[in-house]
Amino acid sequence: MTRETAYCFAADLGGTKLAAAIADAHGQIVAELTEPTDPRGAAHVAEQIAACAHKLAQTAGIDITRARHVMVGIPGAIDPRTGRVSLIPNIAGLEDFDVLGFLRDRFGTDVAIENDVNLAMLGEHALGCANHCRNAAFLSLGTGAGLGLLIDDKLFRGARGSAGEIADLPIGRDPTSQIPSASGTFELEVGSLAIVDRYQRQGGTAATTVRDIFRLLEQGDEVAASVLDTTAHWVALAVVTLQSLLDLELIVFGGSIGVRPELYERVRRALPALFSRPITIAPSRLGDRAGLIGAAWAAGQALRQNRDHSRDSRQASGP
Amino acid sequence: MSAPTPSPPIASVTRQLSRRSVFEALLHRSPISRADLAKVTSLSKQTMSEVIDAFEQQGLVRPVGRTSGNVGRTAVLYELSPDGGHVLGIDLGARRLTVALADIAGRVLAEVDEATDSRGGAWALDQIARLSDRLARDNHTHPSRIRSIVMATPGVVNPKSGAIEMAPNITGLDHLNVVGLLGEKLGTPVVLENDINLAVLGEIWHGCAQNVDNVAFLALGSGVGLGLYVNGRLVRGENGAAGEIGYLPIGGDPLQAESRLQGCLEYQIGATGVVRRYREAGGSDIDSERQVFERAQAGDPIASDVVDETARLTALAAAAVIATVDPQLLVLGGSVGARPDFADKVARVLLQLSARPVEIRTSTLGRRAGVVGALSVALRRLHDEFFGVAELATALPLPPPAHPSARQ
Repeated sequence: MTRETAYCFAADLGGTKLAAAIADAHGQIVAELTEPTDPRGAAHVAEQIAACAHKLAQTAGIDITRARHVMVGIPGAIDPRTGRVSLIPNIAGLEDFDVLGFLRDRFGTDVAIENDVNLAMLGEHALGCANHCRNAAFLSLGTGAGLGLLIDDKLFRGARGSAGEIADLPIGRDPTSQIPSASGTFELEVGSLAIVDRYQRQGGTAATTVRDIFRLLEQGDEVAASVLDTTAHWVALAVVTLQSLLDLELIVFGGSIGVRPELYERVRRALPALFSRPITIAPSRLGDRAGLIGAAWAAGQALRQNRDHSRDSRQASGP
Repeated sequence: MSAPTPSPPIASVTRQLSRRSVFEALLHRSPISRADLAKVTSLSKQTMSEVIDAFEQQGLVRPVGRTSGNVGRTAVLYELSPDGGHVLGIDLGARRLTVALADIAGRVLAEVDEATDSRGGAWALDQIARLSDRLARDNHTHPSRIRSIVMATPGVVNPKSGAIEMAPNITGLDHLNVVGLLGEKLGTPVVLENDINLAVLGEIWHGCAQNVDNVAFLALGSGVGLGLYVNGRLVRGENGAAGEIGYLPIGGDPLQAESRLQGCLEYQIGATGVVRRYREAGGSDIDSERQVFERAQAGDPIASDVVDETARLTALAAAAVIATVDPQLLVLGGSVGARPDFADKVARVLLQLSARPVEIRTSTLGRRAGVVGALSVALRRLHDEFFGVAELATALPLPPPAHPSARQ
C-alpha cells in the first residue's frame, strides 16, 4: 500500500440523506458513510457534515487535518459571482446560512460547494457511463427534477449558476389550453408528488409513494402502468427539449425515479415518435452514489491542481 | 506590392510573439509611431524596427503621416494597410444573400445583398461567386488577396460530405459538396458555419451583446433557431445540431407527422406556420408572415391573435432556454424576432412564465448579424494564419468594427 500524504473530504447533501466520504488525492474513495439528514436544518446539517468527516477519519485511521480539500454537493444553485445559494426547498434555512464560511472555519482548508446534480454528472463523466462523452447531461428525477450539463468536456453552470434548473421547463398540461404541452411546468408533471397524485386521481388507491406505484406495477396494476406511461411521455418531451437545444451524445438518467428501468425504458420507447434523429439515454451506472463519487473526484482534482500550482509558484519564486 | 505570406514554421516562438504583439497594437491603436509601439509592446526599439520593416515589405503596414504638436522631431505614424489581406463574409439565407468584403483591420470595404436565387443548389453557389467577384472588382482587390472566407448558412454542415443538412428553406444544398464546390469557385477554402451561430458572434463583435460572456440568440424569421455562446465559446453540440429549437415540443402535438418532420415549434411559428394559422383562423389570403404583422398593427383582430400566440410560443421557447442554459442575455433576432413590438410581447409573457427573468435585447445588426459574424470569424482565421502561435490558444481580440464605407 502506498502512503498517501493528502486526502480530501467529499459530501453529498440531500433533503433526506447525507452521504460523505474520505478520498485519496486521485479522488478514490477510501471510506464512506450515509446517514439521514438532520431535520433541524442549516446549522445542524453543517455540524453534521463536519461530524461525518471526523467519523470517517477515525474509521480510515487518517488524521482529519490531512484532508486538504473539501467538496460538498448541495441540492441548489450556486451563483458563481456571489457564492449565494438558492432554490433549496428541501433543507430549512440553508439559503441564508453561510455553509462555505462555516466549513472553511471547521476544516481550516479549501472548501468548495457545488450543485449535487452537477457533481453526479462529473461522477458519471469520470467513472461512470459518460466516460468518453464531451457533451452529456445527467437528468435527475426524484422528489424534483434537476439536470447537470457537460458541454465541450466541461461542467456547464450558466451565467447565474442555475443552468439545468429544469423544474420550470414549459412542459406539461396547460389547464387553460387544449393544446398538449402548452405551458405547464415540468416538475408539476414528473415530481414524485405529481406521480402519486396522478395515480390517485386515476382511481388508484393503494399507493402513497412512488415506490408503492413501482411495486403495484410489478403486480400488474393497470393504473400504475398508465401513470408511468404518462410520466414517461412528459420526461420524453424534456429529453427532446434538451436534445434540440444542446445536441447531446448521451443523457444519463439518475435519481430515485430516473434510474428505474420501468421508467427510462418507457421513455426510450417514446422517443422515436417524437424526434427524427436518434437520442441516446442510459441509466446512471453509479446510481445513488453518483453525486458522492463526483464530489470525491472533483475534490481530488482540485487538490492536485492546488498542489501543482503551489509547486509551480515555489519554483517560480525559487533562488 | 505582393500579398503577405504566413511566416515560415521555423520562425522562433519569440519572433512570432513579437510580430503578434506588434500586429495587435496596430490593430487596436493605429495610427501609431514606432516609439509608441515599442512602449505598448515592451519590445526594444531595435526589434520594433525589424518587425515594422518586415511588415512594410509584406504590405501589412503603411505610413499615414507624422506626429505633430510635440517638441523635437516628429515621428512617422503607421497603420495597417488595407492591402494587407482581405476577408469575405457571406450570409446565404433562404430569402437574401449578403456578401461583405473587409480588410485585415476589420474595416468593411463593401457589402452587397440581393434576393437568393430561388432555384437554390448550384444556382445559389454561382450567385455567391458572381457577387464575390463583383465586390472584389469594384474595390480593386485581386481575388487572390482574399485570404479567408466564412459563410453563414441555415441548417447543419455535414463535416464528411460538405453538404448542408436540415435547411429545408433552401433547396438542393443537402446533396452538394457546398464546401468543396464553393472553395473551387472562389479560389480560397470556405468555412461554413450555422447562420445563427454567426449572428451571435456578430452581435458580440459589433452589436447588442458586446462584452457579454453568456448569450442566447433566438432568431425568428422564415424559420426559428437558437445560437448559444457560453463562457467565450459557441455551443455546437455533438453533431453541430445544438440550437435546432424548431424541434422543441412546444405549441402543437409533438406526435403529429409535421412536428416530427418540420419541428413542432417551427411548424407553428416559422413563417409558413404564421401564414397557415392566419388562414386557418379565417384570415383572408396572404402570402407572407410580414403581412400578418402589418395587419395586426392595422387592427385586424385575427392577425392580432395570431401574432399574440406567436409571441406566447416564442416566450415558451425562451423559457425552456433560460431553464436549461441560464444565459446572461437573451437576444431576439430575425425578421420577426427583432421587431420591437413583437419583442415587447415576448418579454411580457416571459415575465409571467420564468422564475428567473433574464435581460432581453433586440438584435441591433438585424439582417446584417450573420454576415458581420462571418466577417469576424474570417478575420480571426486570417489573423491566426499570419500571427497564430501554437502555444497561445487564445485568438487575437478583434478591433471595434468600422462602419461600412461603401454599402450598396
